[in-house]
Amino acid sequence: MNSKTFLVAQREYGENVRTKAFWIGILSVPVLITLGILVPNWLEKKKDARRYAVIDESGWLLTAVEEKASGPDLAKVLKLALTDRQKKRDLAKYPPRIRQWAEAVPANFIESDKMLEMVTQGIDDAFLKIESTSDEAEGQEESELAALAMVRKGLDELRPEVEAWWKRLPSDEARQLSSGLDRSRYEITRPDLPSEDPEAVLKEMLEKDQLFAYFVIGPDPVAGSEGCRYVSQNVTDNDLRNWFSNLATSVVRQRRIQNASLDPVVARKIQESLTFGEKKISATGEIEEVQGIDRGLQWAPVVFVYLLWISIFTVAQMLLTNTIEEKSNRIIEVLLSSVSPLQLMTGKIIGIAATGLTMVASWVGFFLLGMKVMPLLIGVTPPDFLAQVASDPFLLGSFLFYFVIGFILYSALLVGIGSVCNSLKEAQNLMQPVVILLIVPLLAMVPIGQDPNGTLARFLSYVPPFTPFVMMNRAAGPPTFFEYVATTIVLVTFTAICFWAAAKIFRIGILMTGKPPKISEILRWIKAPVGTVPEKD
Amino acid sequence: MDSVLSLQNVTKRFGKFVAVDDLSLEIPRGCIYGFLGPNGAGKTTTIRMVMSIILPDEGRLKVLGHANPEAVKDRMGYLPEEKGLYKKMKAGDILTYFGRLKGMAGREAKDKGRDLLERYGLGEWTDKRCEALSKGMGQKVQILGTLIHDPELVILDEPFSGLDPVNVDLVRKLILDMKRGGRTIIFSTHVMEQAEQICDFIFLINKGKKVIDGPLSQVKTTSELAIRLDFEGNGTDLRSIPGVQRVNDMGKSAELFLEPDVDPQDVLRDLVEKVTVRRFDLREPSLHEIFVRAVGGKSDE
Repeated sequence: MNSKTFLVAQREYGENVRTKAFWIGILSVPVLITLGILVPNWLEKKKDARRYAVIDESGWLLTAVEEKASGPDLAKVLKLALTDRQKKRDLAKYPPRIRQWAEAVPANFIESDKMLEMVTQGIDDAFLKIESTSDEAEGQEESELAALAMVRKGLDELRPEVEAWWKRLPSDEARQLSSGLDRSRYEITRPDLPSEDPEAVLKEMLEKDQLFAYFVIGPDPVAGSEGCRYVSQNVTDNDLRNWFSNLATSVVRQRRIQNASLDPVVARKIQESLTFGEKKISATGEIEEVQGIDRGLQWAPVVFVYLLWISIFTVAQMLLTNTIEEKSNRIIEVLLSSVSPLQLMTGKIIGIAATGLTMVASWVGFFLLGMKVMPLLIGVTPPDFLAQVASDPFLLGSFLFYFVIGFILYSALLVGIGSVCNSLKEAQNLMQPVVILLIVPLLAMVPIGQDPNGTLARFLSYVPPFTPFVMMNRAAGPPTFFEYVATTIVLVTFTAICFWAAAKIFRIGILMTGKPPKISEILRWIKAPVGTVPEKD
Repeated sequence: MDSVLSLQNVTKRFGKFVAVDDLSLEIPRGCIYGFLGPNGAGKTTTIRMVMSIILPDEGRLKVLGHANPEAVKDRMGYLPEEKGLYKKMKAGDILTYFGRLKGMAGREAKDKGRDLLERYGLGEWTDKRCEALSKGMGQKVQILGTLIHDPELVILDEPFSGLDPVNVDLVRKLILDMKRGGRTIIFSTHVMEQAEQICDFIFLINKGKKVIDGPLSQVKTTSELAIRLDFEGNGTDLRSIPGVQRVNDMGKSAELFLEPDVDPQDVLRDLVEKVTVRRFDLREPSLHEIFVRAVGGKSDE
């Protein structure tokens, strides 16, 4: 008996994996996600530098801002050069002066992480004018400390030369070095402006698209923002404005501190923000650090709910098509001369569940592959929610369980629907209630994610068609053990009932031709004992 | 007698409609049983009950000695009237599948399937998808699928429909071979000539009730003789011949039924004057006529 069910399942599975729908399903999710990551990345790189002009009525702020802006960029470039040297890449793209410097750094500095950190600190000191918060390395040899001092001196000598070079560097050349530099993204232009009504010229340039925006710095920025404005035709992209105003603000702040004759150290202390360290309560009731894994649990449920949802939709189409084909080309009768309706239905459900699980497994496989490959390709690492799930066997087991039961439940519903329809169109009509049912867990995904143990989450967990989705979604909660058990009992019972009802519907429905029956008639089929066919209306 | 199938007072209702009404029949082993009846008579329903696709409401059924047909499904073969195949499956694969569903081992089913396809002229289609087959070829595949597991009892519903004469001969030969091998075949058809050619027994069902049941020869001899005529001329003239009670005019041939105590020789003399006689036969009425009479339809007067 069971072997026949397996034969049916095998055939169903084999046929499904050969359909276009299956392969589109398998590829669609990884492709979409990859595109979703790659395309914005690529677009970002292709974005032209924003050209801007500045009318500086104060006479000093622009120069100060430019100086302040160059620091971080230069520091980045130097660090990049070092990294490239460490990875033994070609340094040809760097200007000769920087190349020289990078090659002059002693080899043992490059190889030792600790020493590299010291050099990086030195770069920050020189270019960002941040005072080092860490003391000199302890336990390093005299010779190494001496060499480190040499490197730092070298940096100080380097600075004025590269600053001059940097001042004149156009955006596209900056972009060759790295697209992450501010210079790559924002380029200042200095057109000739008449002393009377310089803005008119700038406005014209704006309209002709020669400028993205222009700034006007008021006469006394230290006193206040009066007279400062940003003019642009693009009101949605505020990156330039934010960048410039952040720089200008920090310069003005420094000047104000100076003017107030405050000790910069005291000033920094005044500005220090108060941070509340994030901790959580562990399972044993102790206070412990919040770890990456806890944050990961926010991602994993969402991803898995989506995966289950998408895969159910995809296999639904296949199941309905197959069942209707068997009905319409009358192969059903031949099949029923060899297997019982129950064996046939069970086989189809197993076959389609296996198909769905294969799809999901391949998505997970793609993701694992992507984890390895993507950082190499574009340096972007997707969040690793899988590792976090995989490290908790109970969680992993529960996800697997919900997947399987979810598939069986919805497959049973769909098989029942497919058995009474003669065409896909009829099936789509009857599918509507199922579709509406499936939208609920999707809509509830965000609210439940934010409040995994709240009333909504608790309530929905006990509604069997939603249970697989909701319980996975609540993983960050986590739900209590009692809830796991109780909802599982409800879910499994409900699935068994659906299976039994579907079997009754299937038995009669697949031999029927003509209009699909009304719901009331279907209910009568369910109530009638096996083998009889109740009265039609 | 060793009966492979026995129905006793079997009844089946669909709501208020009685599809099969108190049906009893007994089918002996090793014969070819013709299962006849008009559309909607209850043939398909009866067959489905025999195949345990549906269950009777009343009465008892015994197939191959078992009261529960489910137990012997693997020893039966069934070719439904509307024949279907999985379009995307290859011919060889689908035969293997059908064989395995009947309990054959995988390897065995595969080899047997290929062998059958070869033997019946479909060898090069073994690895082609069923959607590539013509209707007649598809039907052959269907028939082979019914027989692949060498069943003891085979039920064929309209096996010849859609087949060209060469294939009709092929299938007929297949059926006769099976009979010689001791298998039992029940087949249903609307084409009476085909039934006449090979059936040993005839069973006629109408409106859910049994109308005729017995050996073909017997069924025919109980009726009176008829004149079978191949002719050229106007069929309407035939009716006006004295002594002729009824005529089945089939265009180029006809069946004449005489009034009692009329000498066929006199009728022949009159015929020769009215039409050109190509062939004159005095024999039992055709099964066609028996059928029409039995279901109460009016043939040409």
